[in-house]
Amino acid sequence: MLVITVSPFLWQLSTSLKSLQEDIYTGTPSFWPERPTLSNYAEVAETIPVWSYAVNSLIVAAIVVAGNAAGATLAGFALAKLRFRGVKLLLGLFLATLVLPAEVTIISQYVTVRSLGLADTLLGVALPGAIGMLNVLLMRTAFQAIPPEMDEAAIIDGATAWQRLRHVGLPNVRGMLSVVTIFAFIGAWDDFLWPLIVLTDPDNYTLTVGLQYLNGTFSANPRLIAAGTMISFLPIVIVFAVLQRFFFKGVEEGAIKG
Amino acid sequence: MRRYWAGLALLVVTIAGCGLGGAAEEEPAPSAGGAVKGKVSLQTWALKPKFTDYVQGVIDGFEKRYPGTEVEWLDQPAEGYSDKVLTQAAGGTLPDVVNLPPDFAVPLIRQGILLDVAQADQKLAAEYVPGALDAYRYPGVQGAYGYPWYLNTDVNYWNTELLKKNGLDPEKLPASLDELIAQARTLKEKSGGKVFLMSRRPELGDLTNAGVPIMSPDGARFTFNTPEAVALLDKYRDAFKEGLLPRDVLTDTYAGNAKLFNEGTVAWTTGGGNYITSLATDNPTLAPKVVPSKAMGTPPLYVQGLSISKATKNAPAALALARWVTSAENQAAFARLVNIFPSTVASANDPFFSKSDGSNSGDAKVIAFESLAEAKVLEPVQVTEAMKKLVRQQFSLAVSGEATSREALDAAVAKCDELLKS
Repeated sequence: MLVITVSPFLWQLSTSLKSLQEDIYTGTPSFWPERPTLSNYAEVAETIPVWSYAVNSLIVAAIVVAGNAAGATLAGFALAKLRFRGVKLLLGLFLATLVLPAEVTIISQYVTVRSLGLADTLLGVALPGAIGMLNVLLMRTAFQAIPPEMDEAAIIDGATAWQRLRHVGLPNVRGMLSVVTIFAFIGAWDDFLWPLIVLTDPDNYTLTVGLQYLNGTFSANPRLIAAGTMISFLPIVIVFAVLQRFFFKGVEEGAIKG
Repeated sequence: MRRYWAGLALLVVTIAGCGLGGAAEEEPAPSAGGAVKGKVSLQTWALKPKFTDYVQGVIDGFEKRYPGTEVEWLDQPAEGYSDKVLTQAAGGTLPDVVNLPPDFAVPLIRQGILLDVAQADQKLAAEYVPGALDAYRYPGVQGAYGYPWYLNTDVNYWNTELLKKNGLDPEKLPASLDELIAQARTLKEKSGGKVFLMSRRPELGDLTNAGVPIMSPDGARFTFNTPEAVALLDKYRDAFKEGLLPRDVLTDTYAGNAKLFNEGTVAWTTGGGNYITSLATDNPTLAPKVVPSKAMGTPPLYVQGLSISKATKNAPAALALARWVTSAENQAAFARLVNIFPSTVASANDPFFSKSDGSNSGDAKVIAFESLAEAKVLEPVQVTEAMKKLVRQQFSLAVSGEATSREALDAAVAKCDELLKS
């Protein structure tokens, strides 16, 4: 299993380090480059403005992560712990939107974003992903796992909804919150089709779209594409490395502390 | 991947188009009359960064030739281009001049979004190669919807090392399917089944080549279930049974003969005139061992072109720009950068294309150029991605022997007809 998931990645890594004199596609692929070189990475940076694309991607990812962390938490808490008219209907609507494939709504989404005046802006790229319905459901499940007795005790002590969220809810859903953060980040960072459709000005391109310039008509060099892929992969590793402590702790540890 | 999106996009536009198209049809078509000046936008497909200097040079030339014009150039990434164009069309942001291959243009023409350039430009038919211009004429629709730009075709490429090692003579390359099958047999016997010559399953283009009409002349129904087609599929079935093709060639995950050729497990592939150049990047040690030869049967014609949005606010400049970019001089300069071929009649006598520099890539260029004279679009544009998939599945059944060729062809025709009507 590990071999199947990791080997394409290793192949990309080794391709990105191969020099121009080496064959890429062979019957017996060699993982170890004969003449390892970093020049492919330098050439990627020369060919396209990798850094400004990466900054654009980071801006989009930051908006999406912030939107999901805040929005999905609030909505999840409301759906799980607050009682109000139409809560079931609301939940049903949330579920219903999950059924629609993104490809079907993409053009109407574009027309909406354009009429908001957000075409060709990073905000327009980030907005549709800013609160993922699936994330709301995940947060709702996490909040529901907190025993109602704790909430009732807080209500008797006179806590408002905000206080219940801050002091009872949040400390118990940190694990799920980091899961949502990581998924939101990866989703925003890896998205290709939507940013491609919204953005027109190449200066605004995100990394996934910008890297496509390495794959031009009559000019695709697999070494450069592999190097570009490696560059875009790094931030995901970093985010996961930083959050993995919570990620696994949150999954293992029960929801309640003493 | 690109094909997948193209198919998907067709579906999307039929849904989205309901509410959004239509309006353009009632407006009068913009005409070519009037002064060429002002702003005009041009969209190309994946030409940056390799051809940035070339395209910028062409644009600078245009602005110099027509003072007072200003060209805004957009280059779109290769992947997802069809979706990008469709959303642009739906959102009303289609640039004035757009690079569209003939099949991408189909949904836009149905929505009445593109300008009939044959009507706007009377000299069109005289200046561009008829075959290329015909790619932008569609059955049941009046007019032509694009200035043909650069052309390409397929050339055979052979791995001489594999041929020699397995008892074949690179001087006597097969020129027909029967010769190909015979040589594939030799290669298989000598190599013990490790190396193959053939690694392509039959496609609609192969039927066209065998003299089978794919569609009725009015484009209303499919007609490729003829005895000739049955005979062709039978040949492939026998070859497959004999083990002359790799087993996985019939599966949907099959990566394609170019990939196997690059790996050195297959000795024959087809590719555009520029194939050796890109091979030299991918597998530098293989490229010098490759020799080109003319494609078997009628070579396929691949066309790129520039279409003009009907909603353009500056039709005179848009037409002038499309004409300028596709002019004989500018295309000839483009062809010197990469092995592509101009679509203009005036370029036919350019000695650059008929003389090789002696390299195998140069030979491929000459062969491709000579092939273009007889090249045709082998697959009708009405054939959608969904239809291609159906045909692929049915042909696979026939070649593997699970259905007779007759049954498979009848089923494919019936299902394609259904899709055509829907």
